[in-house]
Amino acid sequence: MSNRPTARIVGWPALVVFAVLALLPAAPFMSRYYLLLAFDALLFGAIAMSLDLLIGYTGLVSFGHAAFYGLGAYATAVLLERGVHSLWLCLAFAVLVVGLYALVVSYFATARRGIYFALLTLVFAEVVYTFFRYTQTFGGSDGIQGLPEAWLWPGVAIDTPLRKYYLVVVYLGLAYLACRVLVASHFGRVLVAIRENEDRARFLGCNVQRYKMGACMISALLTGLAGAIYPVRSAFATPDLMLWTESGEFIISVMIGGLGTLTGPIIGGVFFTLLRDKVSSFVDWYFIVIGLVLVFIVLFMPRGLFGFRHLLGLRSWRTTA
Amino acid sequence: MDYVVAVLLPQLLHGLVFGAALGLLALGLTVIFGLLGVMNFAHGELYMMGAYAGVGVIALTHSFWLALVVAPLVVGIIGAVTEVATLRPLYRREPLYGLILTFGLALAFREAVRQLFGGDMRRVLPPISGSTPLLGMTYPNYRLFLLAMASLLLLAIWLFFTRTRAGLLVRAAVQDAEMLDGLGVNVPRVFTLTFAGSAALAALAGLLLAPIFTVYPYMGVEMILLAFIVVILGGMGSMGGSVVAAFVIGVAQSLFSLWMNPQRVAIAIFAIMILVLIVRPRGFFGREGLLE
Repeated sequence: MSNRPTARIVGWPALVVFAVLALLPAAPFMSRYYLLLAFDALLFGAIAMSLDLLIGYTGLVSFGHAAFYGLGAYATAVLLERGVHSLWLCLAFAVLVVGLYALVVSYFATARRGIYFALLTLVFAEVVYTFFRYTQTFGGSDGIQGLPEAWLWPGVAIDTPLRKYYLVVVYLGLAYLACRVLVASHFGRVLVAIRENEDRARFLGCNVQRYKMGACMISALLTGLAGAIYPVRSAFATPDLMLWTESGEFIISVMIGGLGTLTGPIIGGVFFTLLRDKVSSFVDWYFIVIGLVLVFIVLFMPRGLFGFRHLLGLRSWRTTA
Repeated sequence: MDYVVAVLLPQLLHGLVFGAALGLLALGLTVIFGLLGVMNFAHGELYMMGAYAGVGVIALTHSFWLALVVAPLVVGIIGAVTEVATLRPLYRREPLYGLILTFGLALAFREAVRQLFGGDMRRVLPPISGSTPLLGMTYPNYRLFLLAMASLLLLAIWLFFTRTRAGLLVRAAVQDAEMLDGLGVNVPRVFTLTFAGSAALAALAGLLLAPIFTVYPYMGVEMILLAFIVVILGGMGSMGGSVVAAFVIGVAQSLFSLWMNPQRVAIAIFAIMILVLIVRPRGFFGREGLLE
């Protein structure tokens, strides 16, 4: 199963979409501003997709993904601040830091189900937030500001909006591929089995907690990598990246797009970022709009945007693997 | 001995005062959790709106006491309307949806209040001034009033749940809503009224604490996490557990702050929670199998 050709796992619509994304900067309306907005939107989409592995496929709601994101961002920021410019070193450091933290969190959190899991991840994330918020070594509440550019390799800085944009497109593409391969694999199928009926999965001989920890770790590392890319664009890392409301926004994106679809949450994240950007440029009470959109989705479109297609009976979207 | 009287004792009392108010907040949260299976993320916003409703009433009438009556009523009504409009359609859905829905509500409420009252900090003057000599030290009268008031309320709630028919119905609904429905009780109404009651309690806690803390739109966000920790520690859905845990956390926070700076206190509180959950996975009084 897992040695099917990549194109069949990914599907041709996704290939078309990535081709469009790659060509997008050539469009005349893609100004500097829109390139950076696209960066934010796609990064948010990538995070929502990583979170979907956990919520949509494994049935675990993490309210602490902001900590993975923020830790990744701080990992890059700390290295850049100290004069290490290599993107690869930053990413490796982020994997190390986020991995260690995720190991601890997932060990304790996956021992519990449902709402306990959500609240444990939330509290762990809040510990990390509090730590960075008040530790002056890491800039306290201001975070680490004014970072230099990262280098792809010595001499090639990721300095223009175009390069930053391609960085995130490549990341999204690789992460999407990884997630698709994962959910099509045996591992992914066990995750779905756990979501559907944890006790039955256990009776069938699966070490449920180990699988849950695995899903947690993968989701956390992908989110951490996305976080590690963020300071390359923004030149800062602040504790606000780890605030639990940020985790909430990731969940919102997953919900908007539709649980357990991978593609849906990417679109959800893009939609959410664009919505926030557009509404906030008109009114300063955009959180009311976003809050009500969320309420509306939960009430009337619980399966997200793709679920809406499903309701209309157009074609049931490839849901689970 | 001087240290005990001058430092330890007042701090202990501060902790009890805070714990009592936290208990009011956590009690509403845990009852709603037991009843609807929803961890209400908007609870902190109801707490915040209680304080702001109080600020509004005080600005109009200059009476804290009137505010203490009106604010819970207003927020209770908001709670009832919210429950009917948004949570009622979710009764039979997964708890996850309730969590996400109330998160959305919290965003909207917080921003609405910020638009109405502005984002700056406000102060509410304590309605009772002066202090009383007590055990060799002097302690502010308002805090003593707060402790008495919150304790009386907690007692009243306990009597409500154990001695009245309405309280019995709520407990029955927590146990088995379907069975209660089959016995001819209007269960949705029980849910709505309980939600309104829990909103009113949160509002009361918000207004009672307002003269001690400051009032600002994000006050609920900071408080709700503590309330969550209290509910988890006490054992989800256990009312007595929540009250005990509220006092434990209140006193712990207050005593820790003698020896640590605020961020260490916060981390220490989180550490307590994580440790308790490792030793007793269902908190102090949690029952097995409840909503897992």
